[in-house]
Amino acid sequence: MEKILQIINTVLSNRGKQNIMIIYETSHLRNDIGFDSLDLAELTVRIEAEYNVDVFADGIINTVGEIIYKIEAN
Amino acid sequence: MDLFYLDYSTNQKITWSMLLNDINRSTTFNPYCYQGDFYTVLKQIILSLILGKEIILLDGDFTLDEIEKLTGISDFRDSETIIKFVNLLNLTTKKELLERLNKVNSNWSITLFTSGTTGLPKKVSHKFESITRFVKTAEKNRSNIWGFAYNPTHMAGVQVFFQALLNGNTIVRLFGLSKEHIFDSISTYRVTNISATPTFYRLLLPANNEYSTVSRITSGGEKFDDKTFNQLKDIFPKAKITNIYATSEAGTLLAANGNEFTIKHSFIDQIKIENNELIIHKSLLGNSSIVNEEWYRTGDLVQIISFNPTVFRFVSRKNEMINVGGYKVNPLEVEEEIRAVVGVQDVRVYAKSNSVLGNIICCEVVKRDSQLNETIIRTNLQSKLQEFKIPRMVKFVEKISTTRTGKIKRN
Repeated sequence: MEKILQIINTVLSNRGKQNIMIIYETSHLRNDIGFDSLDLAELTVRIEAEYNVDVFADGIINTVGEIIYKIEAN
Repeated sequence: MDLFYLDYSTNQKITWSMLLNDINRSTTFNPYCYQGDFYTVLKQIILSLILGKEIILLDGDFTLDEIEKLTGISDFRDSETIIKFVNLLNLTTKKELLERLNKVNSNWSITLFTSGTTGLPKKVSHKFESITRFVKTAEKNRSNIWGFAYNPTHMAGVQVFFQALLNGNTIVRLFGLSKEHIFDSISTYRVTNISATPTFYRLLLPANNEYSTVSRITSGGEKFDDKTFNQLKDIFPKAKITNIYATSEAGTLLAANGNEFTIKHSFIDQIKIENNELIIHKSLLGNSSIVNEEWYRTGDLVQIISFNPTVFRFVSRKNEMINVGGYKVNPLEVEEEIRAVVGVQDVRVYAKSNSVLGNIICCEVVKRDSQLNETIIRTNLQSKLQEFKIPRMVKFVEKISTTRTGKIKRN
């Protein structure tokens, strides 16, 4: 979870957006974290580089919990 | 009821006899066809065929300024002519119309403006012979019902239209409809044939039902991935799925099952592969403003799989524009801006395939100044480039990767 938070904050920083302190499994990537499609695209690449899994490969996912599930399932 | 055209979005149900009526009642003809509904465009093409006059199709997306630049004309009303009575047959049956379309005057031509890979529209004109070169008329095709999934002012749309028209088929509009209405139209009107881009098919996925009236699926215009291919087989279990290679200049040229294309014996003098690039002889092309030489270089790079006959698969585009969620990015432009950042020695911009946007922009940078970091590069680019053009991944390297010929690698 901490690593995911770090990746999310990297993406936010890259777009000049404010970092966040805490995430929950229920945190919504678009509504709570404020990602747009460019951010989501970058997020997939960074997660893939770290965990070797394309979390969006089977369709769009919405929450942090879904990312963790995909990583663990792999 | 023998139907010619069905359109859920405009609520049109046009029979062949209504079409004949509309054509018989036409009193004027304007060669410029702009911003009509689909039926109007199709009807005007038929009218031009009967009159043996040129028709010029203009995409409704063009602004009036763009059209003036492309055609030199600012007001189309001046181009309208009265149809002389002797020119029109009083067509009473569909059979008569189809017979008439087999004797099209040699003065007839169709002109359209393609979007072009550089974003600059190209003018392309075709005679009846070249636009219908790949139309297959046969008794077994008479009862086909076409799902029309292209803009009728674009090359692919015109080709599907001619395939349907010359076989006397029904055309069902699918282009621009929602997924639900597309499936609804396919099942209500028992569509048998669909020709579309892989993107059109991808937007139909996933689907819950099977549509077994569809017997033929054709895909072209982009690379067709295996995943989409397999999912389509589930939705259209009775369909034979064919991949085609077409260019806006030549129309359909090659068909493949899966991703492997074969150059048929009849084309060996007109379609060749030179330095891994597919090249096409001018005799296969329409009269295009960009083709002045004997051979047209398609910019499509291929890998030969076997000879006699030549079988190949497409590898990439020579043209290097990167498509990021529908926006085209010229990597050379991005490289130029990154090179201008203080501390950058060299840079390579490339696309990385991405499940969200299709591609995202990445780059490799060779530092001149050890203080240089990703944030400095990004901050510099933010005032110069649109957000989608800014690389999302910056990798610092010792040396830029190049191809064997010393060019920058893009993939």
